[in-house]
Amino acid sequence: MTPLLEVRDLAVSFATDEGMVRAVDGVSFSLAPGRRLAIVGESGCGKSVTALAIMRLLAPNARAEGSVRLEGEDVLAVPDSRMRQLRGGKIAMIFQEPMTSLNPAFTVGDQIVEAIREHSDASPSEARAQAIAWLARVRIPAPERRFDEYPHRLSGGMRQRVMIAMAMACRPSVLIADEPTTALDVTIQAQILDLMRELSEETGTAIVLITHDLGVVAELAHDVLVMYAGRVAEQASVQTLFRTPQHPYTVGLMGAVPRLDEEVARLATIEGAVPSPRAWPPGCRFAPRCPFVIERCRTEVPPLAEVGPGHVAACIQAPLDRFAAAA
Amino acid sequence: MAGFLIRRVGQIIPTLLFVSLLIFGLQQLMPGDPALILAGEERGDPLVLAQIRAELNLDRPLHEQYVLWLFNVLQGDLGFSWRIREPVAKVILEKLPVTVQLGLMAFAIACLIGIPAGIISAVKKDRPADWVANGVALAGISTPNFWLGIMMILLFSVNLGWLPPSGYVALTVDWRQSLATTIMPAFVLGTGIAAVLMRHTRSAMVQAMNQDYVRTARAKGLAERIVVAKHALRNALVPVITLGALELGTLLSGAVLTEQVFTIPGFGKLVVDAVFNRDYPVVQGVVLVVAVIYVLLNLAADVLYVLINPRLRHA
Repeated sequence: MTPLLEVRDLAVSFATDEGMVRAVDGVSFSLAPGRRLAIVGESGCGKSVTALAIMRLLAPNARAEGSVRLEGEDVLAVPDSRMRQLRGGKIAMIFQEPMTSLNPAFTVGDQIVEAIREHSDASPSEARAQAIAWLARVRIPAPERRFDEYPHRLSGGMRQRVMIAMAMACRPSVLIADEPTTALDVTIQAQILDLMRELSEETGTAIVLITHDLGVVAELAHDVLVMYAGRVAEQASVQTLFRTPQHPYTVGLMGAVPRLDEEVARLATIEGAVPSPRAWPPGCRFAPRCPFVIERCRTEVPPLAEVGPGHVAACIQAPLDRFAAAA
Repeated sequence: MAGFLIRRVGQIIPTLLFVSLLIFGLQQLMPGDPALILAGEERGDPLVLAQIRAELNLDRPLHEQYVLWLFNVLQGDLGFSWRIREPVAKVILEKLPVTVQLGLMAFAIACLIGIPAGIISAVKKDRPADWVANGVALAGISTPNFWLGIMMILLFSVNLGWLPPSGYVALTVDWRQSLATTIMPAFVLGTGIAAVLMRHTRSAMVQAMNQDYVRTARAKGLAERIVVAKHALRNALVPVITLGALELGTLLSGAVLTEQVFTIPGFGKLVVDAVFNRDYPVVQGVVLVVAVIYVLLNLAADVLYVLINPRLRHA
């Protein structure tokens, strides 16, 4: 089966005053229809840049290389006019800040109708009916009335539901969700994640979820891609990754997740900070913070190697099972 | 919306009362006895003076004078010009259409140049079109109006002979001649304001183009021109409207230098003449009319904000 979305060796560089800075380096993954992939990492690891590169929404000073194929079509190479049909039509995106992602000058209904009419021949009244149906589907109470409300009258959770309705209204095959719940209250977070899972199961829309929160990953994703400093550190199914993480960075991230079933005096953290794209360390980029570091790590770039069925990790010392006793 | 309008109009009344107090106070501070000035040759005759004082209510206490004056103003009686020997209201009504015509033409020119130039400059930020627009705007702001006026008269009237160098023909008399006599001064006034509008439109648009909702609009697959003209511009217009209202107010209160250069008989010329001739009732009347124009323009700007930005409706 051909993958729905296939990303190969994606690299993104930004032109800065200090020359070209490469923020994303050699990211590859593929997504099958209806699957949900989480891209996880700390701020600055390149996960949002990866998402924006797929949408071709990067700032003008950025350059993306490699290939992004959506149903076989090279997204990075198609003309702008075709890209506009894909954007919102086949591949939609929602963002971290529901408070500012909707235009304050237009009603939420108008903003959904605008997306529907951009990608279909629906008449204004048909588009209105569809928009109201979507508002109902994302569980906004009194959708007919909410249709004519301006965004400032809605809470953050409601606005994110509107964003989801707007993104899903054209029945995209892929939805990219960039930290969709980060700005929301914990109880609202769970509701939004449930909604996204439900819609993806009902419509068959695949999801690429960008997050720094492993709790969110466990809620929603089938597969996980862990990114560190612009590169893929590890990729596996959710179960495999949570059970047998094979990259020291993933192990560190797990340690940083608070768990309710364990008594912990303080949250584990990873020593040090994410390096800057202006000065990536040579060799393995995690080496300066890695508890298992050996001399070779500082000079050799670790390749992504298979450590189990459907499980790859970029660590020359993987599998890490022999450290398990020590860790 | 109706509630907002009623509240906003209600706020105007105290403002206008305050303005009227200021203007009435000004009258009291002015040197010289109006009765003496009006009496002319007969200023030696105490009977004449007393009669004039009684006619103008100058023999009553101040607060009564204010109420009587306000009552007259509300009925459209702005007093009597000492110099022109005509009612101030009549003098102002003669000059007002000239200045309004000139002001509106200049404002239209300013908006037609300034706002599109600001948008282009913001969208093409840090690229040649932006540099050119900024350069032209800087030139527009730095060029004195009277100098640009003289240069235009030299080029279009003296050398090319296309337009009359000065004078004014009313719209009602001959609209073609009227436009021919006002287009140069309107352009001179408009370009200066266009430059200011351009700078403000540019900065508001640069800010709007960086907002999350612009990214959302692009993510929907909208064409860039819709993203710019609909999503960004609508939000960027609020500060531009504020500035536009103030600039239009300035235009409608008379462009002294430009009217002098083109010998246009508008407000600006009226005020200058009145000040030089110490024709205080005219000065006062003009100040009052200008104040009312400003207050009304601000009201119009506020109403426009609310139409553009629904968040302000409940503020």
